[in-house]
Amino acid sequence: MPRVTARGLGGPAGAILAAAALAAALLLPSVAGTYYIRVVTGIFMFGMLASGWNIVGGYTGYPDFGAAAFIGIGAYTTGILMSRVHLPFAAALPAGGILSIAAAVAMGSVLLRLRGHYFAVATLGFMIVLQQLASNLDVTGGGSGMNLPPVRSFTTFYYWMLAGLVVAVAVGFVLPRSRVGYAIAAIRENQDAAQVLGISPLPYKVLAYATSAFFFGIGGGIYAYWFTFIDPPTVFNIDFTIQAVVMTIFGGPGTAFGPLAGAVILKSLDVVLTNISIFLHNVFFGALVCLLVIFAPRGLAEIFQARGGLIEAIRTEVRENRI
Amino acid sequence: MPLLEGRGLTKLFGRLVAVDHVDLAIEHGEIVGLIGPNGAGKTTLVNLITGMEAATDGRLTFDGHPLIGLAPPAIVRLGLARTFQIAQPLRNMTVRQNVAVPALFRAGHVAGVGAALREADEVLASVGLGPKRDFPARALTTPDLRRLELAKALALRPRLMLLDEVMAGLTPTEVDAEMAMLRQVNARGIAIMVIEHVLRAVMGLSHRVVVLHHGRKIAEGTPAHVTADPEVIRAYLGTTARASP
Repeated sequence: MPRVTARGLGGPAGAILAAAALAAALLLPSVAGTYYIRVVTGIFMFGMLASGWNIVGGYTGYPDFGAAAFIGIGAYTTGILMSRVHLPFAAALPAGGILSIAAAVAMGSVLLRLRGHYFAVATLGFMIVLQQLASNLDVTGGGSGMNLPPVRSFTTFYYWMLAGLVVAVAVGFVLPRSRVGYAIAAIRENQDAAQVLGISPLPYKVLAYATSAFFFGIGGGIYAYWFTFIDPPTVFNIDFTIQAVVMTIFGGPGTAFGPLAGAVILKSLDVVLTNISIFLHNVFFGALVCLLVIFAPRGLAEIFQARGGLIEAIRTEVRENRI
Repeated sequence: MPLLEGRGLTKLFGRLVAVDHVDLAIEHGEIVGLIGPNGAGKTTLVNLITGMEAATDGRLTFDGHPLIGLAPPAIVRLGLARTFQIAQPLRNMTVRQNVAVPALFRAGHVAGVGAALREADEVLASVGLGPKRDFPARALTTPDLRRLELAKALALRPRLMLLDEVMAGLTPTEVDAEMAMLRQVNARGIAIMVIEHVLRAVMGLSHRVVVLHHGRKIAEGTPAHVTADPEVIRAYLGTTARASP
């Protein structure tokens, strides 16, 4: 079930690599300028979102296209608690995460009875409903959005995002080695077969969905405080979902480090290409998604695993007549 | 009291009577064959017992527990395992991960993944799949997929196994091997119901055979008794022109 993790990065070499990466991440703000801190904070954010999406979309096989609903819930909960109730960020942020879990449990208990495309469309609808709700309520400031208290230092968000990322990747690493991980893998592979092996699917699917939602909620909460202004279209924004999906698929869905790898590579390319040309960056992104789905539906992980690398992976694909 | 007892089991699909007031009993440790021509209602009957489909009417108990209204996972956890006519492997998981899943989710499941994998290794060795334990399940051949289905059912530690066409697609030699394996399973005290087209296998294995035709139970008894029954012969071979006046 763990397609890459078991062999690729599970050993002592992987542990050393992870520790080195973490140490570098912790030290970066003392050497890098504000611009790079902001760029890397963004990478961390999408690393966390992709790793979170992978729990439901990758490991469980339920494509959640409304994941940005929880960005919005986290952002607005944090925003409202800070600007209206005057709670400190450290209290408001967990509230956003918890509310995301609660919303996911409530919605998931209904939506996760659907399969495949139906689930994808229903979750998207859920996000749109919440966006409309946020546009029309008083407490959210409606369509004109809301401001959060201004911030002193960008480094704060850097470390908050890093903490969220580390937890998200750790969950992705531990999950496939746990009893719950076996349940959701069995559900992904064959839900009917899973049932006659003693698994009641719904509670496990809800657990995966809520865990994924938690990371989107936390991401949204940090994002809101980071940008100090939120309105419905910027947080209930399908672009967050799409990017998390593409990064997960690019890196390898159902692997512990694939989504992070996808986020690091794609977000870095995105930054470079945006600096060259906004137009080029969109063309590039679209083309990449097409190539990816055709040649490596299981992501970079699949390419690394194929003997002979990318070229052999493509040849195999052509041989097996998938294209 | 029988291990499994069904009374008046009935299933309607619209106006089609798929299973028609069938009474059924399986004793502890017994091997019962369920045979009948195509469309006789065998698989539907299994689906009713395992909770995959809701019975239109009838009562059903397993070891005294009423089964009607229970979801498949709950029935499985009571100790009633089934295999499917078409093997249902967890394709992208390894063979031993496949078998670890039931060990982790039966009633009285093992504590952790490590213990489940160790138990899977034992079960796989007993069905002859030990050397292939690290293959992804999608890479297995048909006979090996059958063995995997059996291994998954065994890892549930059931008291009754319903085996839907385990012999389908096997060569005569493979059928012999499969029969030997099922006798071993039965020797551990697990009752078995074999739903089968391969009559040689059913007749060779079963203590008792139940014959379904058009959803009704038309005969029941020892293999020798059932094969001599004129109604069974009619159901399988049809009426000859000379037999009619």
